[in-house]
Parts: sequence; C-alpha cells; structure tokens
Amino acid sequence: MRRVAVVGAGMTAFGEHFGLGIKDLVPMAVSEMAAHVDKGLDRADIQAAWFGELTTTDGFPTGILADTCGLLDIPVTRVENACATGNDAVRNATFGVASGAFDVVLVVGADKVRESSARATFWEWAGLTRDMAWDYPLGLVAPANFALHVARYLHESPATREHLAMVAVKNHRHAVPNPKAQLRYEITVEQALNAPVVVEPFRLFDCTPQSDGAAALLLVAEDVVDRYTDRPVWVRGVGLGLDRVMHQHKRDMTTFPPTVKAAKAAYAMAGLGPADIDVAEVHDCFTGVELISYEDLGFAERFGAHKLIEDGTTAIGGSKPVNPSGGLKAKGHPPGATGVAQCFELFEQLRGEAANQVDGARTALAHNIGGPTAVSAVTILSSDRG
Amino acid sequence: MAKLAGLGTYLPPWGSARGRVAGPDEDALTLGVAAARAALTAAGLASSDGSGDVANLPPSATGGSAHSPGRFGRVANLPPSATGGSAHSPGRFGRVADVETAAAAGVRRVVFVTRELPLLVGGNAAALLAGIGLAADVAVVEQVGGAPAVLDALAGAAPGTLVVAADAPQAGQPAGAAAALVGPDDPAGPAGGVGVELVGRVVRSLPVHSQAVGEAAIRDYSDARLERERGVGVALERLGLAEKPVVAAGLAAKQAAALCAGSPPDLPTLGASSALFAIAALHELGSGGVVLAAEQASATAVRVDGPPAAVRRDEPAPLAPEKMTRTPGPDIAISLPAYERAFDAKLRWEAGRCDACGTLALPPRRRCLACGSEAGWTLAPLPRSGEVYTAVTVHVPVPGMPTPYSLAIVELDGGVDVRALVKVTGAKPGTARIGDRGRLVLRRVAVRSGVPDYGYALFPNSPAASVAGEAATGTTEGAAR
Repeated sequence: MRRVAVVGAGMTAFGEHFGLGIKDLVPMAVSEMAAHVDKGLDRADIQAAWFGELTTTDGFPTGILADTCGLLDIPVTRVENACATGNDAVRNATFGVASGAFDVVLVVGADKVRESSARATFWEWAGLTRDMAWDYPLGLVAPANFALHVARYLHESPATREHLAMVAVKNHRHAVPNPKAQLRYEITVEQALNAPVVVEPFRLFDCTPQSDGAAALLLVAEDVVDRYTDRPVWVRGVGLGLDRVMHQHKRDMTTFPPTVKAAKAAYAMAGLGPADIDVAEVHDCFTGVELISYEDLGFAERFGAHKLIEDGTTAIGGSKPVNPSGGLKAKGHPPGATGVAQCFELFEQLRGEAANQVDGARTALAHNIGGPTAVSAVTILSSDRG
Repeated sequence: MAKLAGLGTYLPPWGSARGRVAGPDEDALTLGVAAARAALTAAGLASSDGSGDVANLPPSATGGSAHSPGRFGRVANLPPSATGGSAHSPGRFGRVADVETAAAAGVRRVVFVTRELPLLVGGNAAALLAGIGLAADVAVVEQVGGAPAVLDALAGAAPGTLVVAADAPQAGQPAGAAAALVGPDDPAGPAGGVGVELVGRVVRSLPVHSQAVGEAAIRDYSDARLERERGVGVALERLGLAEKPVVAAGLAAKQAAALCAGSPPDLPTLGASSALFAIAALHELGSGGVVLAAEQASATAVRVDGPPAAVRRDEPAPLAPEKMTRTPGPDIAISLPAYERAFDAKLRWEAGRCDACGTLALPPRRRCLACGSEAGWTLAPLPRSGEVYTAVTVHVPVPGMPTPYSLAIVELDGGVDVRALVKVTGAKPGTARIGDRGRLVLRRVAVRSGVPDYGYALFPNSPAASVAGEAATGTTEGAAR
C-alpha cells in the first residue's frame, strides 16, 4: 500500500448553528481546508470524497456534499458508523488512496444535531442505535448508554466521581484558547460535582453539549504530497473495532472492546505503540469514557486511569496530553464531524500550529467510541513518514 | 357451586395505608397478571420465584418445535381427572389440541374484569395470557365491570376458570387486583377448596358516577345520600338476605361496617377487585359466610362455605409515591413487526435456547452467542430473579416517559448466564445498587403511539427481605395494608 498524508484541514466552529444549515456548514469546512493548503488546491484535483454524516438533515448526504462544494464530477461515498463515523471516513479515504485508486481525496464529516426540536431529538437518535422491540422503549438515553459502563467501572476501579469531574475541568480548560470550541470557559471540580444530575453518575458537566459543525481533510498519496505542502502529516495507522450491539451481551462493561480492537489494528499498521503517542484526541462524550479509554488505548494499566488525571499526565504540560482541543466535552460533538475534527486538531498539533500547542508533538492518536458502545475507530497520525 | 382452588391478591407498592396507587409502569393488565400469578401459586400451579412457567414441564409436552410459539406446553400438575371430566368434553373447546394444552394447564378460561381495560380496540387477551404464563389457546373474556360482576363471574364459573379482577382507576381511587381460580369440582381435587354459591343478585340503574364512551373523566352526580339510600339501600332490601354479610365489597369502610355482621375488614379497593379481596379476607377472619358486592344500585351476594385456605398475597409495604416529571413530546414510535416478533419471549420472559448447544439468548437470536449455530432455537423459560450488575438513573426529562427512572442490567439466577437490560420498578429511583437482588415482574415499559408495550422490570427486594433471604413479595396476611 502507498503512504498517505494529510495536507490540508479545516473546520467550522462547533456550536449551536441555528442560522446555518448542513448545506452551509459542509462547504464552509471544505473551503477553509482548501484555503489553508500550503501550496494551494485546485478543486479539480479532487478525485473522490468520503462523507461522514450520522444523521441526515435536508436530505441526501452525498449529493449535498457534491452539490454544495462544486464537486459534481467525482464519486462521493457516505460513511455512517455511529460516533466512529468521522475516523471511519478517514480510514476509508486512506484505503482509497493507499490502494492506488486515487491520488487526491476529500474527507468531510458533518452533523447538525440542533436541527430538530429538543423533544424530538432524543427518540430520533435513540432509534439509530437501539433494538426497536427490546431496548428502545426502555428510555436508554445516550448518557445512560455510557453510564451503564461507567457505573460498573466506578464500582470496580479506584476511580471516583471526583476523577470524572477532573476530566471535565481539564477539558474545559483546554477549550478556552480554541476558537473552534463550543464551551470556552473554565469550571471547577466543585461545580462539576454539584451540577444537576443528567443520568447518575453523570452530571451536567460530565456530558458533551449538543453541537452542529463540519470538518474537512485533504488526503493525498506520497507521490503527489510535494504539490501541496512541504510539511505533511502522515496517516500511519487506522483501525476499526466492533462489539455486540446489546449491553446485556457485553461480558465486562468496565472496558470497551471495540477500542481495544481498533487501537490494536491502528498500532500494528503504524508499527507504533501507546508509548509513542505524544498527544491524543480521545472520545470524551462523557467524562468517564475518557478514563476507560486511557486503559483501552494502552495509556494506563487496567483500573489505573485515575492516576493519569490525578497527576496531570493527560493535561497540557503533562507527558501524554489528551484532548488539547477541549475534546467532545468542551469543543463540542456533531458526531459525523467529531473524528474528522480530531484529525484537524492533530494536524495542527503535528505542524506546531495548534491553538493549545503540545510542545514537540510528533505522533498523535484520534479515537471515537460510539453507537450502543459497539464501534470504535482509531487513527494514528505522525509528522514522521515512517 | 364453584370450588376455590386458589386466591391471589396484588397491591402496587406505591401509596399509603389509606390506599395504593398504580405506578407509572402499571395498568389494569399488569396488576391483574400479578394477582393471577399469586392465585396460581396459591393453587400450587406455579412457583413463586421459579422458572417463570406456570408449572413443571414434562418434556413430552413441550412439542419442541423451534420458533413455534403456538404450543408452549406450559403444563400444570393437575390431576388427570380434571382433564377427563365428563362435564368438560372436548367438544366444548372445539379443537382437541386446545383441550390438551389448556386443560393440562389447569386453566381453561380467564375472565378479566375491570373498568380500565388498557386497550378497547387491539385486545388485551394475548398479553394477559403471556404475562400469567398460560398457553395461547386459553379462552379470555375481557369484561368491563365492578365488584358484583366479579362475584357473578365467580359463582357461575366452570372448573378451570381464572377470574382476574383489577382496579387501576383515575387519581383518587385506590388501585389493586385479585384473582381466583375455580378448581375441579372433584373429591380427588386439591384439598381445601371452599365452595362459592350465588345467594342473590339485583341489577338496577342509578348512575351517580358515569363515563360515556369517548369521555375522558368520570362524572359525579354528587349525591351521597341518594346513592346510599336509593342505590345500595334499595338493592339490599330487594336482595332480602336471610343473614347479614360478613364482608361487603364496593362500599366505603363505614358503610360496609354498618350493614355487616361483626366488624368486617377494611378492603384496599372499591372496584372489581374488592369482591375478591373480600373473599380473601375470610382467610384472616377464619370463617365463611355471606359476601356482598355492591356497585351504585346493583349488588350480588354469594355464600362462601368456609375460610379459603390457599391465599397468597403479593402486597409489598407501601412507599410514598415518587414525584415524577412528565415531559410532553411526540409519540414514541413503535414497529409492529418488531413488536410481533418479540412478543412471546418478551411477555413470557423466555430466552431462545440454541438447539445445537443449549445456550440461552435474551432476546432470542438466529445465531447462537456461544457456538454460532444457526440451526434454530426453542423458547425456554427464564429465571425470574437476579442480581444487579450495573445500574443508572435517568434524571434528564425524556419526552413521553415519566422521570426519574432507573435502568439496570441484571444477571439472572440459576447459573443460566443470561443478563437482561430492564427498568427498575417498585423502588425509589436511584436506590437500586450494584449487587442488589430482586425479581423480574411484568410491567408496562412504555406506551408507544398509544400501544402499551409490556416487558419485565426489576423489582428490588426490600432490605428486610434481603436480610431474610426472601423475595420482596410480602406474603403478609393483610397486615401490610
């Protein structure tokens, strides 16, 4: 397979974009990407596109991308893989280039969560991930989906609700300098612990906000990298992992096996391990999920995640900063865009251009876990060609 | 004369000593199912905590055909005489297969009496049979009625009739349910069955409380003296009872006491179920006697020829009702094909047992979780108790669903290696903890686009019961009220 590099990245700010539709957000992200390719991009160079969108607003997703971005003459493929959609779109596009089929491809991720009434959203989204007869009627809201894991994790591991709060505090702090982030303010552990309960054990600040947004990447083959930049970021590894779709069939709920599988595949492809990762964007839709993911990604030993948040290892300035962008928690989480936006952040980190720069970062990891906690995607990027 | 083989009662765990209210996940059907299961347990036809089916299952009776919910083969340990009795020739039931299955279960007919039928169009019978654990070929009568109708149904019932009476009234009236199984009129039948015989009946009209079809609420004419004097008063006069009743159902405690001999027990309900609560009360009174059931201007009296021996009360101690937040929203969608495919396993609490290796899967699934066989599966009863593996409590408002509520993943007992994701019922939200134990009970999990969606919920054992190592079901002798 050929080497693949990211040579351009762009994203809209994440937030409640009531004034912008999906037909605005998608071209905005693509144009921002195109405007920031070091040596310029002629759109006619783009040979194919992969579009990660979890839900649809305003209709037919691939057509909307082609139509709104002036790309009517190339194939566009929609990727939908729950909250792993963004990094799975990156994975598919990577293979499209690595295979030799295309030299220059576009990856876009987008979603507009705040497009339906708050009352309708819950059941619409629940229908995407639940067994219609058995689980859907139980009212297994998205936070409950993950809380079932985290409640058991808190029971078995030394981690406490204070550790969950510390994750929220860290990611809120990280978001402050990020102009793309939705929640750019700091909170305290006390605020997090005393906030209204959403789904016990999660309180308000343990949860991602609902967000709209889009992100775009330009992936090219090694052969043509020089046309676009002298500072490419290499896609070193991609991986996807799955699990049983019903919680009652998951034997050990203190871990996410899809993450373990996706990380294993991505590390193997990259020829790298957890120790090689300088900075990571980890799926923190709920604070406890970030902690469990430290272990699943190999950053911490089993039931040792709390130590990393306690001693600052995963804060900016620590030895393994996690979510310098603010993460889903504070940057926001339009699911289809999330993974692509993680790669946007890491692209900037690995080029030394990030708003919240991690000094000397050379290798980075992006991670999503989603659906009925049954799918994960991991992408490993590096400034080293490998 | 109808012989009582078993009586069961159920009171919702919410309310106070003054009266119970149905939980947000209860309706007349779930109340009735709880009482019916208690009655069958009392009659020795079901185990209280057991495998969930109504009785032990001889292998020959299962039929064993995969994916064939038609023949569940729930078979009771009923004496053979009950099936071959000349009074109940197969001809009455049409097909011979019906007789075999239904008669073998000891219950041939269910009469469900309530004024709050969950579905007026769409039917409640299948859910009722599935929840009770009866075969799908048992006849069901869905009857709108009150306390006199229940005594009428009972006194005139053929052996093998299960009379189920449920009250899930609008706010302000107490909720509860009771059920009575009429056993074989046979000296070789279950011992201790007391007889119930009609003494008299008066059917009159004085609709001081009324609700026409299509009206949302009950209208109240608001004249208590009229109701007392020209309603029950005239009805009693016309009945001309030779002796005073010992218990009176359908009446306020004070009024009942005024017309009964001795001091009659307080009954927990006023509607259909109160008639059977009245008969059950004879167990505690230790005597038989005349039982009266009144409703507005009508009344029925029966004589019970002794204290019923087989009474089981599922009457947990009352908890103060939770303050729930109700959030309006769009109808919760339902897929009726998915509903229909899941129905038997979901309402009968059964797993799919892999025909190749025997592994149980809940819900049933084509490909075995363990061996990967896709050759087929057969429904098999699941244990109705287990331990909480993980639990969470939803506080955020959810449209169409009263909040807060708790969800739990429960590891079922008996080493079956099956976990279930269920709602928690009968306990204050947020109190079910990892490691807690409880039993699985039928509840209305949701109302989806107007259709009640029944399934099982975890009823945590009360701390006292846990200590004693018993199920949460209070087999109290009326004291829990």
